[in-house]
Order: sequence, then structure tokens, then C-alpha cells
Amino acid sequence: MGALISWGGRHPVAAFGMFFAVFPFLMPYKSLASQVLIFGLFALGFNLLYGYTGLLSFGHAAYYGLGAYGTGIALAKLKIGSLWLGIAAGPLLAVLGGAAIGFFCLRRRGIYFAMLTLAFAQLLYFVAFHLPDVTGGDDGLRGIPLLPLNLFGWKIDLEGSLAFYYFTFVLVWLAVAGLKRILDSPFGSVLQAIRENGDRASACGYDVRRVKHLSFVFSAFFAGLAGGLDALRLAVVPVESLYWVTSGQVVIMTLLGGAGTFFGPFVGAGTYLVLGDRLAVFTERWPLVIGLIFMAFVLFLPKGIWGTLVANLPGGAPAEGKWH
Amino acid sequence: MASITRRKFLAATGGTAGAIATQGFFPAVLRAQAEPLRIGCPLPLTGPFAALAADMQRGAQLAQDELNAKGGVMGRKVEVLFRDDELKPAVGAQRTKELIENQKCQFIVGGLAAHVQMAINEQTKKAKVLFISTSQSDEISAKPDTSPITFHEALNPTITSRVMGTWVAQNLGKKWWIIYADYAWGKQNNAVLQDTLQKNGGTLLGATPYPLGSAEFSAHLPKIQAAKPDVLMSMTPGADNIAFLKQVRSFGMDKTMKIAQPLLWISYLKEGGPELYSDIYGSINWYWELQDTIPSAKKFVEASMKKFNIPPGDYGAYSYSGVLEVARGVELAKSTDSEAVANALRKSPVYDHFKGKQWWRACDNKSMQDMWIVKGRGPGKTKGDWGLMDMVAKVTADEKYDRTCAEKGFV
Repeated sequence: MGALISWGGRHPVAAFGMFFAVFPFLMPYKSLASQVLIFGLFALGFNLLYGYTGLLSFGHAAYYGLGAYGTGIALAKLKIGSLWLGIAAGPLLAVLGGAAIGFFCLRRRGIYFAMLTLAFAQLLYFVAFHLPDVTGGDDGLRGIPLLPLNLFGWKIDLEGSLAFYYFTFVLVWLAVAGLKRILDSPFGSVLQAIRENGDRASACGYDVRRVKHLSFVFSAFFAGLAGGLDALRLAVVPVESLYWVTSGQVVIMTLLGGAGTFFGPFVGAGTYLVLGDRLAVFTERWPLVIGLIFMAFVLFLPKGIWGTLVANLPGGAPAEGKWH
Repeated sequence: MASITRRKFLAATGGTAGAIATQGFFPAVLRAQAEPLRIGCPLPLTGPFAALAADMQRGAQLAQDELNAKGGVMGRKVEVLFRDDELKPAVGAQRTKELIENQKCQFIVGGLAAHVQMAINEQTKKAKVLFISTSQSDEISAKPDTSPITFHEALNPTITSRVMGTWVAQNLGKKWWIIYADYAWGKQNNAVLQDTLQKNGGTLLGATPYPLGSAEFSAHLPKIQAAKPDVLMSMTPGADNIAFLKQVRSFGMDKTMKIAQPLLWISYLKEGGPELYSDIYGSINWYWELQDTIPSAKKFVEASMKKFNIPPGDYGAYSYSGVLEVARGVELAKSTDSEAVANALRKSPVYDHFKGKQWWRACDNKSMQDMWIVKGRGPGKTKGDWGLMDMVAKVTADEKYDRTCAEKGFV
């Protein structure tokens, strides 16, 4: 088992692909599997900024929400009639938002940075709330069509929940491969250097603010892609997508799974969503159970589920900052 | 570190995953011989509307018991499955997906908040599952949101505000101030009330929006008091309603003006008590004292008293009726196919489950129904725990109170 995980550690993208290829059949129903993938991607984007760059954003709902509205508005309001353009519009809007918001927020550090990210996200929430003609206001943006996928002249209907899962799976897999590429690059090493010691990274001659800003934008891209996919999955964009509670959820998912680990965000999102879904059948108090688990991890196992698992593997824990 | 080849890894992961997949982490519910007819019911069981949702849960349960006592629907047991939508659209959508995909619910009845119900509606439209909405909203029965398998059992802001506004203008006074929660439901009511007031030759002294859920009104009240309206119209839903009335009374405004709201909710009358709700006017879709005059109401109240020792409330009546309508549709269509059931309901649209004749309007699947103007009974005048309202007037169902089919986008 240890060797297996160690193999997965050396080939995380392949391991990811294999696990999630069979994942929907492990789930009680398929659209839950899609939800795990999408929120895993959202947490992955958040983790790039928090886990790898050491910047805690409390307003990641902004990029998830911008992504959702970007895709939703393109397909439902502008009726652009192309699934690919619709999917692209989400992360594009999120990247623009991330670039602008990051520019301002990164002028401050620590708690001031966190509060600024939160403030910008809430600002967007109220803008969306008060623009019902564009966003649907508090009734949400409805009627987002799930167009058939046009792949080199082939038309594939995505309405079935399994078809949609695999469509999502491929996109998320590409995003995971992209993230690994980013983290493998010298740029990725600088991110982690900044996390460990920003002053030293600066002294080494790296443009710390620019690197942080890029990390912010990349993070917004992944969150935006997740938002866009979720808009397709639900056919609605609730205005709550931009609300601070959504930002809180992604923080919890990431910490639960293990911040700063490659798979942690997916493990966290999966645990949170699947546990929530199953517990909700029995009790309305399910957030209590998740809250207790979360507290237990923060207090006793701060590396999160995946982080703890990997650290206790036979064959020794991989070095800090490596793939797990 | 032990080494492992790619091939071994593939075999190992594939094998384990396969084993898990076939056994399943979550084994499906064992199938009984006669599969029950499952109706999903997403409601905000937690949060500020929990009291109303509990009432709705009881209503749907009573309908389920009543149907099963009669031997079910087409020989199948009826099973209503409840899920907490947490008053969040994304959660409501996800729970609806779970009900349809995982629990194989063939119909959905429920929803209490307009925005959650919209998200539920998108899922049911996609899955081609008949949805009877029990939430107030103008959009749900209008294009482009509605569909041939979307039915709307509840009233809507247009109907309640037209009915209440007309009655108030004719009976309580024509100089109004309106205060409303600043979201879709409040805004729609506000617009319809203003329009109705104008048509009745009244004067609007002012309209104040406030953010839903922020129960601090003292900043707005002195201005309203100074304007001296005849009537203060309030759209302060859920828990806000109690906070609002407390503050209005502490300012002594109840002595200088009438207070009316398009909707009264018996759950909040019970919670707030008769001192708070004494002489507050409102309209309502149903009140349990109707049992004195309406036979179907009597049957409904008796069943509820027997099982829960509580008379059913206004929103409980919606879900009760909604579940019974699904059953009636299935019996009529002799099928559980959503489209067939919807067609059957449109073909014989008249029904009476708890308060006299109701009918589905053909163009928009909107339920037309009687309403009542009520006011809170003062302390000492209440009857038992729940005799909290006086019925002032009955407003007979009429399609003219809703927007026309053309106005709703049907040609």
C-alpha cells in the first residue's frame, strides 16, 4: 500500500486519473461524484494560493462565483451557443477578476490581506444581488443550457449524469496536470520559497509581489473553471456562489484534506460533500458532525486527512514540499 | 522504499476499485416486490423558516398516511422523502438531484423559498420529473422558468398583494407606507401593492426596503411615524416579522395607524403571541377554523390533531394538497410518467383537498384558490392554543387576481 501511494506520489496526475475514472461507481449517485470533482478543483485552486504560496484568501467565492456567472451569463443571457466558449468565459472572467483584486489585496499582508479578499468577494456578492437583469439577482441565474459537446465533428449529449461526470473529469484532469506543471516549474519552487520565507526569496532576487500576483491569478483560474462547471451541472447560478459562506467552505475542505498537499483538497472536498450528503439523509444536524471532525483535525492532526495519511506511511514521509 | 512496477500498480488499484464498485460503499436499498411511489420533498428544515418547514413536513406526512390508509396509489405504497435544503439554492438543487437519482423519486413536491424553488425547478425540468411548488413566486408559473411539468400550488406575490391591497384600500385607508424585505418576494409585493393602491385612488407616502434577515427597524420607524399613514404595509417574512412588530409596538405606532401585511403566518402568530399580533391584518390561504364551515377542512384538521396534536397551518396545507394532487394525477393517468400525470391534471383540473374548490389554470399550471382576510385576535380572545385569528372576509378564487396568460408569456 505504501509503495502504491509512493508510486502515486511520483505520478500524481496518472494516479488522479485512474482513481477518478472509477470514482462515480463508488458513489451513491453520479452527480455527487461530479460535485466532488468540481469542489475538489475549487479547493485545488485555493490550495495553490494558501497551501503552496502561503496566502490565506477568505474571498475565494469571488473567483468561483465569477466563473459560474461568466459561463452562466455567456450561455443563458448572451446565448453564445458554444459549450467551449461558455466554459472558457467562466475562468476568463475569474482571471480578470483575480488579476484586479489580487493587484489591490497583495499590497497588504496577513490578516489585512485576508480581510481585503473577503471584502472584495462581498462587494461582488452585493453587485450580483442588485443586478437582477444580468445575474438574476437573488432568484439566481436560471436556464443555463447544457449544450451537446462538439468534439471534432462528433456531438456528444452531456445531459446524462455519467456523461457529464466524464466531461468534467477530463477537464479537471487537465487542470490537475496543469497545476502539476506549474508547481514543477521554477516558478512553483519560488512559490514555496515565498511561503517558507518571503524575505529570503526577495533577497535571492525574486520579484515576490509579481510571483504572488501570478499565483493569485492561477488560483482564480482554477476556482473559475470550477465555478463554470458547477453552473453547467446545476443549470443555475445562485447568488450565494459569491457569498462568504462559499469561501468558508473551500477553506474547510482544504484544511480538512490537508493544505499544501497535492491531493489534500480533493480528499477534503470528497469527505465534506459525501459525508454531508449521507448524513443529511438521517439528520439536519450534519454540519455539527463535520464541524467536530474538522475541529478534531485542526487540534490534533493539523496536516489534515491526506497530510496525516501520507506522513504516517510505511517507507517514510516524503520530504516537505514534495508531492504527496 | 519498496518498488512497484506500473503494471502491478494498475492491477492492484484496478482490482480494489472493482471490488469496491461491485459491492458498493453504499449498497442500494433492497427492492421490495411492489416498489413504493416515492415523492421527494425538499424543505428548509433548518434556518429562519424552520417553523414553516416543519408545518409543511407535517402536511406532506398527513397526505402520505391518508393515501396509504386507502391502500396507496394504484396499489403502491406512497413514501414521501424529506430533505433539508438549508434555504440555499445550491443545496436544494443537490438534494433534489439526490432524491431523483439516488432515491428514484418520481415526483417532487416542496420548496419554501422562491430562490431555492427556482434551483429545484431547473433540476426537475432536466430530469423530466413533475414538480409541484409550494413556494410563493411570480416567476415559477411564468415563462421562461415554468414548464409543462411545473405546477404551482402556492399563492404568489401578485395574487396576495392584489387581494390584500384592494381590501385594505377599501376598508382600512388609502394613505400607505410600505416596508419590504429587499429581495425578489418583497420587491414583487411592493410593486403590486403600489399598483393596486394607485388603481384604488390611494396615496403612497413612502416605501422602505430593508435587507432580509437584518431585524433592526428602529432607524426607519421615526420617519414612517412622522408621515402619519393610515396603513403601514409590511413585507417582513420569517423571523423578521416578530422583530418588526415588536419594534413597531414599542414606538406606539400601532395606536396611530393600521398595520397590514399581504401574508400572515400562523406559525409566527403562535411564536409571537396575541399581544404582538392583535389587530394585525393579513391575508391567508387557509386557517384551521375553516373546519366549521368546510367539510374537507374538517377532515384535514382532525387528521392533524390526531397525529400531531396541532392544527395544520397555512404552508402545511400547501404540501398536503401538493402530495394529494400527485396521487390524484397518477390515479387519473394510470401512470407514473410525469408528462402523462401533468396532462391528466390539466384535463381534470378541479380539486378540493382542504378548503373547497381549487383548479389548475390550463396555460401556466397555477392553482387558483380562495383566500381569506384575517386579523390577529387580541389577548383573552384567543381560542385554545391555535385560535389566533379572526376571519374578516373571504375572497373567492378568480383568475383576474393573477397576471393573465399573455402577461406571463403564453401566447
